[in-house]
Amino acid sequence: MIIRSSDQVPHTTLLKRFPIPRNFGVTRESRIGRGKIWPAPKAATRIRALEIYRYDPDSGENPRLDTFEVDLDDCGPMVLDALIWIKNKVDSTLTFRRSCREGICGSCAMNIDGTNWLACTRFISDLATPATIYPLANLRIIKDLVPDLTHLFAQYAAIEPWLKSKTAEPERERLQSPDERSKIDGYYECILCFCCTSGCPSHWWNGDRFFGPAVLLQAWRWLTDSRDEAKDERLDNLEDPFRLYRCHTILNCTRTCPKGLNPGKAIAEIKKTMIERRS
Amino acid sequence: MDPQNMQNMRSPLARAIGLGSAKEGVGVWWAERVSAVALVPLTLWFAASVIAHTGSDYATFIVWLRTPFAAILMSLLLIALFYHTALGLQVVIEDYVHSATRFAAVIAVRLGCCALAGAGVVAILRIALGG
Amino acid sequence: MPSSMTTRPRPLSPNVQIYRPQLTSVLSILNRITGILLSACAVVLVVWLVAAAWGPQSYVPVQAAIASWIGRIFLFGATFAYFLHLCGGIRHLVWDTVHGFDLRWIYISGWAVVAASAVLTVAAWVASASMGG
Repeated sequence: MIIRSSDQVPHTTLLKRFPIPRNFGVTRESRIGRGKIWPAPKAATRIRALEIYRYDPDSGENPRLDTFEVDLDDCGPMVLDALIWIKNKVDSTLTFRRSCREGICGSCAMNIDGTNWLACTRFISDLATPATIYPLANLRIIKDLVPDLTHLFAQYAAIEPWLKSKTAEPERERLQSPDERSKIDGYYECILCFCCTSGCPSHWWNGDRFFGPAVLLQAWRWLTDSRDEAKDERLDNLEDPFRLYRCHTILNCTRTCPKGLNPGKAIAEIKKTMIERRS
Repeated sequence: MDPQNMQNMRSPLARAIGLGSAKEGVGVWWAERVSAVALVPLTLWFAASVIAHTGSDYATFIVWLRTPFAAILMSLLLIALFYHTALGLQVVIEDYVHSATRFAAVIAVRLGCCALAGAGVVAILRIALGG
Repeated sequence: MPSSMTTRPRPLSPNVQIYRPQLTSVLSILNRITGILLSACAVVLVVWLVAAAWGPQSYVPVQAAIASWIGRIFLFGATFAYFLHLCGGIRHLVWDTVHGFDLRWIYISGWAVVAASAVLTVAAWVASASMGG
């Protein structure tokens, strides 16, 4: 009932999904159809069923939901291990992004059992039966579980995430006290996996203009860095009814961050700074 | 190679920047918070008064609303309530309506809230000052 | 890009259709829904005041409608909506001071809002009944 940290998987649920049809309000090309069932090998004893979103851009068909039965004795403990097992042993066309397999690169971010998380740090034993694996929510899908993150990275570029200075470059380091350095703790660790932005309902409805939690958390990271000399322009660029103020403190972002960061708090800090600079 | 944006040949950065920052928005956010802070005691007072006057007849109600305390607080409640409502509903419309109709909807909501607040205050004054 | 080749638009991954309802999103949308319901109640409040201002002939039918059994059901719902929006609103005001953002406090305050609203609604109606309504 009381979630202490974002890695807690709720074991009792009232509602797994909102009570609306699966294809509610969805455009024709996005409707999801019934898919194939891929049974486990006959010798398998411990089996888990995973329903995985599939989309093949070359087939001309709509996306579908395939059910794969995974042999747990033949693959590692994490959801990413299950996906790699499926790709190696069952269907080699299953496509997904992955790299570090240790929760630091952000590539394998996807929607697992209704919430966004990294596949490489989610245990198979924490999954529901059957588990559902969708790509990150509300993004254009290139293939299977691979979303198009171009717009999200463009929004990141729009906040100019680099040190901006007006004074001359120092001969050695730009100095910063330990207290000043601690101000960026909890913000610099973001791996830009976009789990938070993809889970924000406000970004679902206004993602073209609302920057979203990931980008705003990085905006705060630069605002609170004592070495940066462009706070004025950064705040001017953020003060917009859409770019910043579409955030209604829904807090799905903080709930879902796979690194335990707090985008909701970062955004609240930005809003507080907005008031402070005009009072 | 994004089919969605083939018609629109702008670069992704241009699309993310859009028309640029409006450089305003903190005023509306602050006003909604200030009106919310005002509404906490005002609505609690109103709820308590309604509960205390359960079952009383028209004459008792009018006598109560005639007292300067009740008349003033009731007027302040209506002003704060409709200000907060207008701002809140505008945010809801901006969230869900993306066509040009949103301008008409926002104008309708703002003017409607002004009209209702005005009507309510006139009604209170009529009771408080009238015979 | 040759015009004879039509590019199939990429599908959009499902969002509200598959995303898990959590205390965070559910309380937030409830705050919005109760806000909209309370806006409708504000209209009724003005109608009631205007009816009262124009004498007992206009007031009595409006008051009778509110006191009818269907009016009372709506009033009960409105009371619950009011307390949910009030407690949720106070939770939002605390967040605006950048306090209570730890996930544990988000969940504790969330459940506190639900519990407080239920208790206050029942208390209000019990108090009203004891006044002889």
